[in-house]
Amino acid sequence: MTTRRRFLKLTAAAGLAPVVASAQGQGAGRVVVVGGGFAGTTAARTLKALEPKLTVTLVEPNRIFTACPFSNGVLAALREIGQQQFGYDGVARAGVTLAQTSATAVDAAAKSVALADGNKLSYDRLVMAPGIDIRWDALPGYDEAAAEKMPHAWKAGPQTVLLRQQLQAMEDGGLVVMSAPANPFRCPPGPYERASLIAYWLKIWKPKSKLLILDAKDAFSKQRLFQNAWAQLYPGIIEWVSLSQGGKVTSVDPSTLTLVTDFARHKAAVANVIPPQKAGAIAQQAGIADRTGWCPVEPVAFESTLQPGIHVLGDAAIMGGMPKSAFAANAQAKVCAAAIVELLAGRKPVDPLLINTCYSLVAPDYGISIAGVYRPDKGVLADVPGAGGVSPLEVVGGFRAQEALFADSWFKTITAETFG
Amino acid sequence: MRRLLLPVLASALLLAGLAGAPAWAADAPPGASSCTGCHATRQVADSVIPQITGRTAADIANTMRQYRSGAWPSSVMGRIAKGFDDSQIDAIATWFAAQKE
Repeated sequence: MTTRRRFLKLTAAAGLAPVVASAQGQGAGRVVVVGGGFAGTTAARTLKALEPKLTVTLVEPNRIFTACPFSNGVLAALREIGQQQFGYDGVARAGVTLAQTSATAVDAAAKSVALADGNKLSYDRLVMAPGIDIRWDALPGYDEAAAEKMPHAWKAGPQTVLLRQQLQAMEDGGLVVMSAPANPFRCPPGPYERASLIAYWLKIWKPKSKLLILDAKDAFSKQRLFQNAWAQLYPGIIEWVSLSQGGKVTSVDPSTLTLVTDFARHKAAVANVIPPQKAGAIAQQAGIADRTGWCPVEPVAFESTLQPGIHVLGDAAIMGGMPKSAFAANAQAKVCAAAIVELLAGRKPVDPLLINTCYSLVAPDYGISIAGVYRPDKGVLADVPGAGGVSPLEVVGGFRAQEALFADSWFKTITAETFG
Repeated sequence: MRRLLLPVLASALLLAGLAGAPAWAADAPPGASSCTGCHATRQVADSVIPQITGRTAADIANTMRQYRSGAWPSSVMGRIAKGFDDSQIDAIATWFAAQKE
């Protein structure tokens, strides 16, 4: 109500929006949002808050959203899965229409979305926020059945719970093997936060165990911060094998929990395979994904460069310098929503500025961060030079503990803004 | 730790009474909407990150400039503030200051 009142006050002062809306005949328009994660949910709510006359429909089959950020804490028994879960009641209260079913097909020419329940939604603008799908064809041996033995846990939910159960059932002294994919993938620091928190848990509960990370990269996000912390907190527990050291996993054998590289076969007691990824499957069908499997967009309103009228947000999109993070998805969604309101009113959106901040926990009281500021430059979202970067390598006092507190506050805030 | 935390906690306490500020408005200047990913527009239980809404424009702009120059220690805010010039900071500060009830 507050937002609406303020919006009306602002627009009344400007003397513009109500006139424009009525000139369009049928109110301000119809926007369909596919995907109820941080990007899609934020976009839907922001659209409705900015322009209450819009008809905004959020298409999401799950009644409960399970958040990936902080889900590594569930693996280490620092949190329960329920603390990761959020419903859509707040979204409905905000005036967004919920379609609790899957989108099965997008017809960009007809501007409509077909739903699994048989309905069809017409739109003036479509927002696609389908997140990621696993590329089941990319790693020999790793299919959906294999993921029940060697969980990816890269979509939070049952996979997270399964990996936690496997860790808890493991004998002390067992080897945990993780594999990390080449770029780009969801949450660049995520595999290394996960290794850290599993090591934290192993150190307490399975002190004879070790953790091996097989990596398809030679460098990773916040690398020196992670590695310094591992040497300090988990000496002898975590071993990282880079691409050039033969770390790239080329196949897996789920029957023996074996991860195979060009140089060795690693038999795990618990295996966490974080496989190659792509934009959520509906993106391929909609024709918004390119040959990389991800979705190219322009950097102002994040409209697809392949299909006009369709905006793509969050992990599915190619966002230039911005990483695939929940913070980025939420920030992009707010910018996109404001741009869509402008476009529907026949105005040109102004160039945005966006921020990303990602915290990782190396231990419950040891946080590290990376931040960046982004603006459109030569057709892509580019880092603003001189801004951003990672936490200092050398710190005094309670700096790491404070960043861990900030991480916790960030999670509470962004989930409240998105789902509250 | 003490130098870092005290202003943060003081701000959090000062602002704890405010709630229900609008989450979004149509006239937000570039960059402003990203801030609310960390700085809640309404009170969030147990958050140690201070709210910005309702502070004066001069206070917000000065804080950003102190972080940007490094005169005040910070964790992420120094890194973020370096991405904004004076006019962008002033526009964001003026907008957040106007968001109080």
